[in-house]
Amino acid sequence: MSRPDRREASQLRALNCSLGQLNRADGSAQFSAGNTSVVSGVYGPVEAKVYEEKLDRAVVEVKFRPDIGAPTTKDKWMESAVRSTFEREILTHLHPRTLVQIVIQLREGDGSVDSAAINVTSLALVDAGIPLKCMITAATCAVLSDDTTVVDPTQEEIDAARSTHTFAFASGSPTESNARGPLYVDSRGEFTMDEYNHCYDLCALAAERVLAFMRTAIEGKVTKEAKISAA
Amino acid sequence: MASTKVVLPGDIIDTRREEDTTQQEPIVEDEATVIRLGPGLIQASEAVTAVTAGVLHSNSDTNRWWVAGNKRRYVAAVGEPVVGVVVARHGEGYRVDIGSAHDALLPLLAFEGATKRNKPNLAVGTVVYGRVVVANSVMDPEIECYNSNTGKSEGYGELSEGFMFKCSLGLARRLIDTKAPVLAALGSGVPFEVAVGVNGRVWVNAENVETTILVANAIRNSEYLDAKQCRQMVKELLEKQ
Repeated sequence: MSRPDRREASQLRALNCSLGQLNRADGSAQFSAGNTSVVSGVYGPVEAKVYEEKLDRAVVEVKFRPDIGAPTTKDKWMESAVRSTFEREILTHLHPRTLVQIVIQLREGDGSVDSAAINVTSLALVDAGIPLKCMITAATCAVLSDDTTVVDPTQEEIDAARSTHTFAFASGSPTESNARGPLYVDSRGEFTMDEYNHCYDLCALAAERVLAFMRTAIEGKVTKEAKISAA
Repeated sequence: MASTKVVLPGDIIDTRREEDTTQQEPIVEDEATVIRLGPGLIQASEAVTAVTAGVLHSNSDTNRWWVAGNKRRYVAAVGEPVVGVVVARHGEGYRVDIGSAHDALLPLLAFEGATKRNKPNLAVGTVVYGRVVVANSVMDPEIECYNSNTGKSEGYGELSEGFMFKCSLGLARRLIDTKAPVLAALGSGVPFEVAVGVNGRVWVNAENVETTILVANAIRNSEYLDAKQCRQMVKELLEKQ
């Protein structure tokens, strides 16, 4: 078996990220895996409109903008997926009657867009200094027609796949990253329980690798700023 | 103590002191073992967990722990000096935009020498320098433009003329320090006034518009520069003028 881009089955595409590129947003990040690239801006905590404000917590609003055209039903689904993943991990009770707005802009979609959207949101929220219970990282797997499972599939692989699975995991558990179980699961297509479990394990490992990558990126930015303020 | 340990949300912090980790007997809970958590840390069940990313700091004498990170959105805290813009006037006070989620309230009598008959008349758009006196998550913040204990303005009040701009909260905190390299370098070259709010707003005024812009640009440029680079940057700006 060989993949079109000659990757190993469990190999992620080249990851790239940067923080704080948007100067008008309170926090922002860019994340890309191969050709899939997303940008996110976070605004908050800002004043919520009277009809949407909650007296005991902050409201989390997610906007997903596709690379071409107006948002479709698929994009609305993505918004609700990201919101439900992050809503419970943001410490919303610390900022009642406010709004945390997350805007995700797809720059180029080449498969595994939902996991990239979750990863970029995680980074942007950290950059904005929004209090979070944990970091959240996600990864996607695809089961191909020849029963092989590949991590971080491209659009070409997804189109030919029997099923695709995205899992998001929380960091910060003392034993292992997936001790809490997944925070988000999205499975499409036909698959057996064994295939599902195999995808779960592969995605957990991949998400851990994404987390290590993010940690390096954030550490780099924080250390750079700390050095200047100490000087 | 220059700590360089970077923490991310969800990281569990080991708050035991070095001598504690070597001791085997159970730790007695008294004043000395109580730890105090500052910004960026919460207690989740038995563990202390980071909720924001930044450098972990601790003071071994007072047993205080906190995370220092940079942000762009202000969350009001009592006692902090802030620069705000008047956005509305009510019967009992002004609404002031200080960059936090909710506008702050500035009572009409919270000025030096203000009485019921003699109170300042600020127009919408006026820039004021004040101090946060009420700040909690469930109430709108409140600021005052004088020290209510002494009745003196102590530098707070309306900021007329000049120019206000925004910067990151981290830069604002560095500028508050009287030894801030960029302000020291500028001060040795040109005379100017500055009011720094820890809400990431800085007001500057100089004898003419050109100098005001120069000072504002120099401060904004200093975000990612160390002391030496600051002096060089200011020198180049002053030479160009």
